[in-house]
Amino acid sequence: MESPRAVFRTSEWDPANHGDQHVGQFYTIPPSQVKTVFPHGLPHRFQQQIKTFNEACVMVRKPALELIGYLKKADPAHPSVRYVLYGERGTGKSLSLCHALHHCSLQDWLILHIPDAHLWVKNCKELMPSSYHRARFDQPIESSVWLKNFRVTNERFLKQIKTSQKYVWSKREFTDEGRPLGEIVDQGVARVKNASDAVGVVLKELKAQARPGSYRLVVGVDGVNALWGQTTLRKEDRSLIDPSELTLVHNLRKMMKNDWCGGAVIATVTQTGSVFTPSSAYLPQELLGKEGFDALDPFLPVSVPAYSEKEFESCYQYYRDRRWIQHHRGHTEEGKKELLFLSSSNPAALERICAFL
Amino acid sequence: MLQRKNIAAAGPEKYTQEFIKKQIEEFNIGKRHLANMMGEDPETFTQEGIDRAIAYLFPSGLFEKRARPVMKHPDEIFPKQRAVQWGEDGRPFHFLFYTGKQSYYSLMHDTFGKFLDIQKYQDHMRAEGLFSQDTKQVNLIGSRWMIKEELEEILVQPISDHDYVRFIQLLERILALPYCSREEEYIQRFRRTLEVQSKKQKIEPLQYDENKVAFSTGEGRRKTATATATVRDNGSGKITVNGVDYLHYFPVLQDREQLMFPFQFLDRLGKHDMECKVTGGGRSAQAGAIRLATARALLSFVTENEVESMRQAGLLTPDPRVKERQKPGQEGARRKFTWNKR
Repeated sequence: MESPRAVFRTSEWDPANHGDQHVGQFYTIPPSQVKTVFPHGLPHRFQQQIKTFNEACVMVRKPALELIGYLKKADPAHPSVRYVLYGERGTGKSLSLCHALHHCSLQDWLILHIPDAHLWVKNCKELMPSSYHRARFDQPIESSVWLKNFRVTNERFLKQIKTSQKYVWSKREFTDEGRPLGEIVDQGVARVKNASDAVGVVLKELKAQARPGSYRLVVGVDGVNALWGQTTLRKEDRSLIDPSELTLVHNLRKMMKNDWCGGAVIATVTQTGSVFTPSSAYLPQELLGKEGFDALDPFLPVSVPAYSEKEFESCYQYYRDRRWIQHHRGHTEEGKKELLFLSSSNPAALERICAFL
Repeated sequence: MLQRKNIAAAGPEKYTQEFIKKQIEEFNIGKRHLANMMGEDPETFTQEGIDRAIAYLFPSGLFEKRARPVMKHPDEIFPKQRAVQWGEDGRPFHFLFYTGKQSYYSLMHDTFGKFLDIQKYQDHMRAEGLFSQDTKQVNLIGSRWMIKEELEEILVQPISDHDYVRFIQLLERILALPYCSREEEYIQRFRRTLEVQSKKQKIEPLQYDENKVAFSTGEGRRKTATATATVRDNGSGKITVNGVDYLHYFPVLQDREQLMFPFQFLDRLGKHDMECKVTGGGRSAQAGAIRLATARALLSFVTENEVESMRQAGLLTPDPRVKERQKPGQEGARRKFTWNKR
C-alpha cells in the first residue's frame, strides 16, 4: 500500500516483479541482502548515501528493466550473451548493473561481481612475478580482497561446487580433486602469495561447470574497458605493463569470451577511473579500443541516458522526503527548475549539488 | 640682490581679451582653409568635420585620446578667466567685489530676489482672494541639479562645498512655494537632464527561421574570451557550447550558475534552447562572455521594463576588468621583488 505522500517509492523489493509501471520509483533493498549481495559492489558515493539515509534505495529505470527482461528470457542452453551498458559519466551505469545483479541473486544465480576493473590496472602497491607463469605479474592484495568478498556473496555455492582437478600451490600445499571450491578460496585468502592464481582457478572452474543443468552464472564487470586499455603499472626496468601480462586480467578476459553457456555477462564501459582516455569518450567503441571491441563482439549494447522528467521529479521528491535538501529555496518550484538546469538531469551532478544544499 | 621671479606664485598664465579674440579669428580662418583642403564647403563645415580632417591629416598612434592633436574653438581650449574687474581708477565694477566671492554672492542675491518676488505675488493673490494651492508645479522628473563643478564653470570662480549646498537649499525653498512656476525659466537654468540609460541599448528584432521558431543572437566579451549565442524559443532548456553539452564543457558548478543567471532572472528557465560558440580566455572568462551574450540575445524577447531591470542587475554591462600590465622593476603587476636589507 503506497501512501499518497510517497508516490516515488514502491514497496516491491523483488526486482523480478518490477515492470514498466515502476519506472521512476525507488525500491528498497533489505539491509540483510545489501551485506551479502553487495559487500563491495556499490559505488562509493552510493555507499555513503546508504549510511546517511539508513536505507538502500535504488531507482527503477528503463535500462535496468531492459536488462532484467533479457535475462529472464535468455535460454540457458545458448552461449552466454554479453550485455554492455554504456552512457555518459554519471548517468547510472554502475547502479543499473547492481540492480540487475540483485535480481540475479534473488533468482539464485552465482554472482561474479568485479566492482571496478580499473582498480586492478592502476595504483597497485605490490606486484609480484607470477609463480605459475614467468612472464605474468600477480597482484596479491587485490586478489585476496576480491576473494573475501566473493566468499561473502556466494557462500552457498562454494560448498556445492567441486574442483575437477588437483591444484598444487607449493611444495607442501595442494588441493585435491573433488574438494569444494570454498577450500580454494580459503587457500587464496590465507596464502596471499597464491591469491591471484586462486582467482584464476576459481574462474576456470566456474566457467567449466556452468552447464544448463547446474547453477547459472552471471559475471558483472564494472569498467570492462580497463581489461583492454593500458595500465599505469611499470616493471622494474620502467617499461609499461600490458594488461595481458597481469594474471587477474588474463583470467578475466577468458571469462568474457562467449564459449560457455548457462549464464550472462553484464559489463559497463566507463570513463571514470580509466587511464589515458579523454573525458568526452563514452561510446563502447571509443573506450574499448579495437582489441576490446573485437574480443567482446558480438554484444548487446544498452544505453543508459540521463534522468527523464519523471525520474528527475521522483529523485527530487526522494531527497526532500529524506530531508536532504535543507535550503528553503530548494523546496520551491523555481528551486526545482534551478536544480534541473544546473544538473542538466544528470544523476551524479544532481546528487553532488544536493549534497551541500 | 636681484629678486628671482617666483613663477609658481604668479598663478596660471593669464590670457588677455585681445589674445582670445585673435585666436578666434585664426581658428575661423584655419577652419576655412581646412575645408578647402578637404574639398568640403567652408560655410557648412562642422566641428565633426574638423575632427575627421585632423585625424586624417595628423594620424597619431597614441592611446590617450587627450594627447592627440586637436583643433577646437578657443573658448573650449582656453579656460575661462575673469576679465579685469576694476577700472582705471582702481574702483571695482561690481558692488560685491570686496566680499571676495563676488559672482557667487551676486547669484545668491539674485536668487533670493526672485524668492521675495514670488512671496510678494503670493501676498498679492491672497489679498485679492485668488490664492490657491494647486498651481502648476515645475517638472523635476528626469533632471538633476547642476553639480558643483558645473556651477564653478558658470561663475568662473571656485566655490566651497558649503556654499554650493546653501545655493541648492535656497533653490529647493523656492520650489516649495506654491507659485514657483513664475520663475520656472530661471530655475531650469540650473538643472541638467538625466539621460535614460536603457534607451542606449540596441535591441535586435526577433528573427524567425524555417520552422517559424523565433530566435535571436547576441555577442559578449569578457577578458579575452568572445562568445556568440543564439537563443531559440519553444525550447526545453538544452544548451550546447561549441557542439558539446554544457554539463561536459563546464564541469564546475560556478560556470553553470553563470549560464543560468540570465534565464533565471527573467523566469524563463525551461523555455529556451541555446547554442553558442566561444573562443579564447579561460573557464571563468568564457562563462562570463556567454552570460553577456545570452543576456543581449534575450533582450529581443523581453519588455522594456525588464530591459531596465536587467540593466540594473548588471546583466548587460560588459565587465571592464582585464589583466593588469606588469611594470618594470616589479615582479608582477603589483607584487614587488623580495626586499633585501642589503
